[in-house]
Amino acid sequence: MASPVVADRPAVTPRPGRRRRPGFGRSDRLVGYLLITPALIYFVVFLLYPAMAALYYSFTDWNLRSPASWVGLQNYSDLLFEDVKFPHFWKSVQVTVQYTLIAVPLTLITALGQALLVNAIRRGSNLFRLLLFLPVVTAEAAVGAIWRWLYDPQYGLINAILGLFGIPKQNWLNTPELVIPALAFIAAWQCGISMIIYLAGLKGIPDSIREAATIDGAGPVQRFWKVVVPMLRPTTFYLVVTGVIAALQVFGLVYVIFSAGGGRSVTGGPEQSGLMYVLHLYLFAFRYDAMGAACAMSFLLFLLIMIVTALQFKFLKQEAA
Amino acid sequence: MNTAQRVRKAPIYIALVLLTLISVVPFVWMLATSFKHSSDIYTKVPNLLPLDKQTGEWAATFENYAYVLDIGGLGQAFLNSIYVCVILVPAKLLIDALAAYAFARIPFPGRDKLFVLLLTGMMVPTITLLIPRIHVTQSLGMFDSSWGLIVPNIASVLDIFLLRQFFLSLPVDLEEAARIDGASRMQIFWRIVLPLSKPVLAVVTITSFIFHWNDLVWPLVVLNDPELYTLPLALQQLASTESGRAYYIMAGAALAVIPVIIVLLVFQRRIMQGIAFTGLKT
Repeated sequence: MASPVVADRPAVTPRPGRRRRPGFGRSDRLVGYLLITPALIYFVVFLLYPAMAALYYSFTDWNLRSPASWVGLQNYSDLLFEDVKFPHFWKSVQVTVQYTLIAVPLTLITALGQALLVNAIRRGSNLFRLLLFLPVVTAEAAVGAIWRWLYDPQYGLINAILGLFGIPKQNWLNTPELVIPALAFIAAWQCGISMIIYLAGLKGIPDSIREAATIDGAGPVQRFWKVVVPMLRPTTFYLVVTGVIAALQVFGLVYVIFSAGGGRSVTGGPEQSGLMYVLHLYLFAFRYDAMGAACAMSFLLFLLIMIVTALQFKFLKQEAA
Repeated sequence: MNTAQRVRKAPIYIALVLLTLISVVPFVWMLATSFKHSSDIYTKVPNLLPLDKQTGEWAATFENYAYVLDIGGLGQAFLNSIYVCVILVPAKLLIDALAAYAFARIPFPGRDKLFVLLLTGMMVPTITLLIPRIHVTQSLGMFDSSWGLIVPNIASVLDIFLLRQFFLSLPVDLEEAARIDGASRMQIFWRIVLPLSKPVLAVVTITSFIFHWNDLVWPLVVLNDPELYTLPLALQQLASTESGRAYYIMAGAALAVIPVIIVLLVFQRRIMQGIAFTGLKT
């Protein structure tokens, strides 16, 4: 994922002094251009051009078989206001926002909990860290398949475990109210990256500060709220921003979870309760062949992500001031 | 550790074990299901081991694997995934490393502006690029082919950035000394810079392997021919067509998951180090 934090590092290389560097002549420039050429071609063909083309197509009526025809802002206004043409657009926005609001905090709390525990022990910490990380490297196709089976209403493990506590069987992925919590739980299950980043943040808190707080009579709970949480603020903020950006783009997992009946047919879950924004976009692009409208949707998402990123920079500047 | 410390640490270990169980049990459940006979799947109380439903005796089978590898098409898909990764990952690493070295060390006009432009490109979400990328892939005649999986992924701005940062941290004196001894740029790159960069090269290689091995979306939109399906796509198809047969689907999932888990076990230290500053690619 494009991490917004990296962009603010200086891109200028400090040159070593003014002294003449030995022997690299004019041909050196040529070597430089040659070395970046493959990457540059890739960049132009698969990044720069597609980005501009997506913007252009978003103003057209277009499918992959016929040429695009210019329709101006029609796609955007249809998406936002024509609920006959796009009856589920706002539903997909609502589903995605709900999911983000539940999944991101749940993921971060789980990750922080795991990190605090791993950080508190010595023996076996590598093993625990490794096992907690397993869900992260698992292909989303496999994650979807495994969780469909775990959530199985009749024979799934989740219902069996909840049954031990007297909770009746739920049809998790087929009950509109339960779909989002069920998906958010999967996201929290995959919180390993946030856990590792929190762990790095915890290691960065100087022992002296903790010791000083202890000497001043702070108990573990006070130390957590008054020392650890404030010291982890930049980490938390980074994770919230990247987490929100990732949550807004969830696709592969829901595609697998809600595909059924063979081939590539996929739904948005019961009563569209799992119709994530990008799944909705995908359906319009590849099932209804409305490429222009899909490009418009993708640009609205891009816009939203830029706003989230811009807010981050504003916040970071305030922090620094 | 004295006894008092041990007692104090006990709740921490208990909590950790519980959390770790949540992480790991789905995999145990996946493996158990994948080794069960179809008749042993549907039990009132779920079994975390492949046991016979009636007798409770050990009753593991490889039948499900045999089925998904052959009739389910996952054997072919496994080979396809390996084929794509074996070409894509090294080629991508080479292209990224060459560009990163030039951006880090070789002064040429417009270099830093170009680099900033590249970084700006990282902000565009993949989904925004998806549809035009398909169009480009079609125009290049690579739609519905393995090359269509490889070429549109052949470089990564994030990896160029990471490699450049690392190259910048290497002492420049070494390279200048080699230059005085008459080494060319490319010799310096191959003989000095790359050998010193093994840690970052490993991180980039591993994360890029995991990413492309797991990738579902790009193969999904570029491939039609089932003969070319990569493992995640074949697994998704299996999960869709055989949706009632958990034993097949879990065998398929295990085939997709196990290679990556092996990579994780072998390279765990490097991966953990890498994530702390890259955030991985998810």
